[in-house]
Amino acid sequence: MTADKSKIPDFSGFTCTNLMIRLKMLLKNAPTDSVVEIIVRRDQTDMIEIPFSRTGYDVKILKLDNNLFHVTLQKRESGAGS
Amino acid sequence: MTSHFFLLGTSITRERLSWIEENLKFFFVKLYPETLRHHAKPKDNVFTFLITGDALYSLHEPETQQVWEIILLLPSVKIICDRQELDLRGISVERLKMKYPEQVIDYNSLSINGQTSFWRDVVKIARQHEQPIPSTIGYLHLESPYMHRSSLSAVQCLAAALEVQADIEFYAYLDGVHSGHMSQSPTEFDNIGKGLEDLVELASKRNLRCQMLACSRCAAARGYSTWDDGQGLVISTCTIKPFKIRNINEMIARFDRNHLILGENVASIQLVKKGKPTILAGSDKGNAPPITILITRSPYGTEHAFGALSFAIACAHNGIQTNVIFIEDGVYALTGTHQLSKDTQYFNLQEVINAIAGSENLQLYVFQPSLQQRGIAKNREMTAVLDIGVAELGQLFFNSLKSVQANHQRILFF
Repeated sequence: MTADKSKIPDFSGFTCTNLMIRLKMLLKNAPTDSVVEIIVRRDQTDMIEIPFSRTGYDVKILKLDNNLFHVTLQKRESGAGS
Repeated sequence: MTSHFFLLGTSITRERLSWIEENLKFFFVKLYPETLRHHAKPKDNVFTFLITGDALYSLHEPETQQVWEIILLLPSVKIICDRQELDLRGISVERLKMKYPEQVIDYNSLSINGQTSFWRDVVKIARQHEQPIPSTIGYLHLESPYMHRSSLSAVQCLAAALEVQADIEFYAYLDGVHSGHMSQSPTEFDNIGKGLEDLVELASKRNLRCQMLACSRCAAARGYSTWDDGQGLVISTCTIKPFKIRNINEMIARFDRNHLILGENVASIQLVKKGKPTILAGSDKGNAPPITILITRSPYGTEHAFGALSFAIACAHNGIQTNVIFIEDGVYALTGTHQLSKDTQYFNLQEVINAIAGSENLQLYVFQPSLQQRGIAKNREMTAVLDIGVAELGQLFFNSLKSVQANHQRILFF
């Protein structure tokens, strides 16, 4: 997990659809077994946690402050992916 | 026998009318061949074409009129024209009407104010189309007022819906959000903002529900979002009062319901559970009517193609079975290799398509005849987009998954 939060892509300014697109692009371009990290708003965590867990990713969410969350996604070994 | 309708309001090219004609032939020849053998025509119309705006020119122009004549030779096809829009444009449909007097209707029903109204006919058909009779009629609006006459159509359509005691919902997407700008003051056109506010008042008088939702991404881009709480609530100081700017998911949540959603160019296909599910249709969850989004425009000149893909992603994300079909000029999204400068923060449409490939509830297709007509080929790397022809297009339109419980499929033209 990246210690310096300023180096993590901040997606909190994106609308939900843009977030989905950018996150999927990030995941597609990420090397196998790597962990993808992003910063999102509270309302955006809902659209990441369940859909991506369901499609083969381990999703972890860490609260940074009232409205900002640090999300990590890693493809499960047997996961279908998204 | 089922019934389906197309509501078309923008210019209809010969290309568009031809693939619609091929689609209808597929329906009758492959799915209901018995209707072609019987001399007696079925009592009910199977396909109704509701034609307004610039789409009316197609009934008069020789190259499209020829295709309409083929369509009208098929059993149980009816065309209902918007009389007021015909008169406004000075278009005559007499030639078609003389040949097919029972199928080409160029007059409309009387509305409550004593004037004839095409939209009264539209909502009547919309209500017959669904059982039980729907309590809500929605309208997805994509264009700005004044530049596009379709904004007036949206207001007239929803006013007609209130006349038949339906709740109404207005969904503003892309430039459609401009219709909710406050203080509109046109001198040469009906005031669309006031028209929308009047709908709210009329609904209230009739004890009916009226909801107006605008997409927050589209609204923010156009300068409407004065304050955003970051959790889905957006407040604007420049929209009319009934307009609510919300995350697109809130709008799509309304699409989970079974009501009819109209728009400038839409179709509604009744679904019949018949035979095995097609392999093209993929897996399904939920009871929301499936959506087929037709991307008909080239990718970068307007926001339509990107808007359509964003809309599709949101629908699929909300559990709605969503097909995206690149057709007509929409196929340009798939040809060549699109490139943006490396340091840009934006993405090209092909990157988006590749990114969303394999998403749950979302299938992507390209209509091969559109590629062939333009002498282009699909980029070989776009493997997530499946090639389809007339037969597969017909299957996507008319065959539903066994697990789909909804009684109709929504088809939206972008």
